Amino acid sequence: MTSILELEDVVRTYGAVRAVDGTTFSVEQHSVTGLIGPNGAGKSTLFATIAGSLKPTSGRIVFAGKRIDRKPAHRVARAGVVRTYQGARVLTRMSVLENLLLGTKGHPGERLTGTVFRPRASRDFERRTRVRAADLLSLVGLEAHAHAYAGTLSGGQRKLLDLARVLMLEPSLVLLDEPMAGVAPALRGELLQHILAMRRDRGITFLIVEHDLDFVMQAADRVVVMNEGRVLAVGTPADVRANEDVVDAYLGAAR
Amino acid sequence: MSVLASGGFWAFVGVVAGIYTILTLGLQVQFGFAGLLNFGQVGFMALGAYTMAILVVKEGWSMWLAAPLGVAAAAVGGALLGLPTLRLRADYFAIVTIAFSEIIRYVATNETSLTGGSQGTIALGSVGTASQYNGAWTTFQTHVQHKLGFSSADATMLVIVWTVALVLLALTWVALRTPWGRVLRAVRDDEDAAASLGKNVFAYKLQALALGAALAGVAGLFYAWEFSFFSPDDFEPLLTFFAWMILLLGGLGRVWAVPVGAGVFGFIFAGTRFLNFPPFTWVASDERAYIRLIIIGLIILVLVVLRPQGLLGNRREMVLE
Repeated sequence: MTSILELEDVVRTYGAVRAVDGTTFSVEQHSVTGLIGPNGAGKSTLFATIAGSLKPTSGRIVFAGKRIDRKPAHRVARAGVVRTYQGARVLTRMSVLENLLLGTKGHPGERLTGTVFRPRASRDFERRTRVRAADLLSLVGLEAHAHAYAGTLSGGQRKLLDLARVLMLEPSLVLLDEPMAGVAPALRGELLQHILAMRRDRGITFLIVEHDLDFVMQAADRVVVMNEGRVLAVGTPADVRANEDVVDAYLGAAR
Repeated sequence: MSVLASGGFWAFVGVVAGIYTILTLGLQVQFGFAGLLNFGQVGFMALGAYTMAILVVKEGWSMWLAAPLGVAAAAVGGALLGLPTLRLRADYFAIVTIAFSEIIRYVATNETSLTGGSQGTIALGSVGTASQYNGAWTTFQTHVQHKLGFSSADATMLVIVWTVALVLLALTWVALRTPWGRVLRAVRDDEDAAASLGKNVFAYKLQALALGAALAGVAGLFYAWEFSFFSPDDFEPLLTFFAWMILLLGGLGRVWAVPVGAGVFGFIFAGTRFLNFPPFTWVASDERAYIRLIIIGLIILVLVVLRPQGLLGNRREMVLE
């Protein structure tokens, strides 16, 4: 297996606090990798650092052979690493369809100059984008809501919209931040099936931060455990579950 | 009162409303569609007006060349202001913009050799020469007046200003309906989400700021032409806040709310001149002018309570989370 993402001794500090303190691990291509750890372990900071919204204090982040740790967030996204946020950051004041139409790369109409000087190319691109958006809407079963404000969707529907919007960007690596939080139990299975199907049909690699350990153990083929800014353990779900250090970190004082 | 109630007076009110429309349209692009809290819009207006007047009077340029350069100067001013400041948080950015417009005004007041100083554009030329920047404009306006067969210069200006305003409104309306406008709204609603979708948030904000500033520059040109003379005092921060009142009156995120807001504002602002009956006559006439601002303030207060989305805004968009 080749790795698609490599983190080498990544450090991110906030003043004196070392939120991420020398993290090293890699994510295998086409894997679903779970990233778990107690609150304050540095998972969210690490996510933001990979996605480019935070710059690492030191260390290297290599995606598909290229360093991405000095790129701004929008360039990391264009390179193929797309993140989601806790609670699905859909644009509530825009329609469901408009949310999807934002998931484009190289749309000439999204540039002011392209809109003015390349109206035909812009229209053609827009037409193709709408076809793709319609396909993805029916994939996640939201086609009936296409013209509703995204703000009218339920929490679970927003997660589905978020996933579909990510797919619009044709990413190679998707970072999911607590995909199961706030999702009704009935929708959880559906969400999991979508994630597994996206890996199978589109070859997408997933790195998932999730507190729901049952979900992680079910979905992931590799699990990275973080604690206090460092990697505590890496392995299959079964390995990690059997690891004494992990149990300590999670249960800590309770033992 | 009969003089004030004449057609000429109301044509003047209409011209000013047209100028405010263009000025506020810039704010609508910046705040209504890109979420930029710009409290220095009047500074860009001053940049447009001064650039045009200085190039015409001091450099002897054709007004038709100087005018677009005035607009360009305002746009460049917007971009230069945005480069170091757009990464600031919204509230800090707002403070910087108001400081910017005051800097422009103070420079205009004190750089006498460049701007004529506090005496205004009358002192632009060398001593003893008539320094007029609007000769070419007057010629053009008279020409249009003959073509239209109008008897009044005010009515002619009204037609010109509103023609330009409507063209700019339409262009903005179209631009915001393109994929570019869609990204702009995404940036307004959630910068982080927009960035995670590969959008260069900074570039979109910079474009919105520069375009809105260019619109203020156009408003500055018409202000200069309408009054044939201006001084730094014409560009006090109050003007920016008039534009904000218009924006709130009309409604956020709606292009066509701007002329509605400007019309209502202009009507109230001018109409309250006629408050020469009790209880208004209990205060001296010069102090009565302030009552207009109080009334407009009250109207906005009532509006914020009863119709927070403005006259044409969309309430649903305000409450969605």
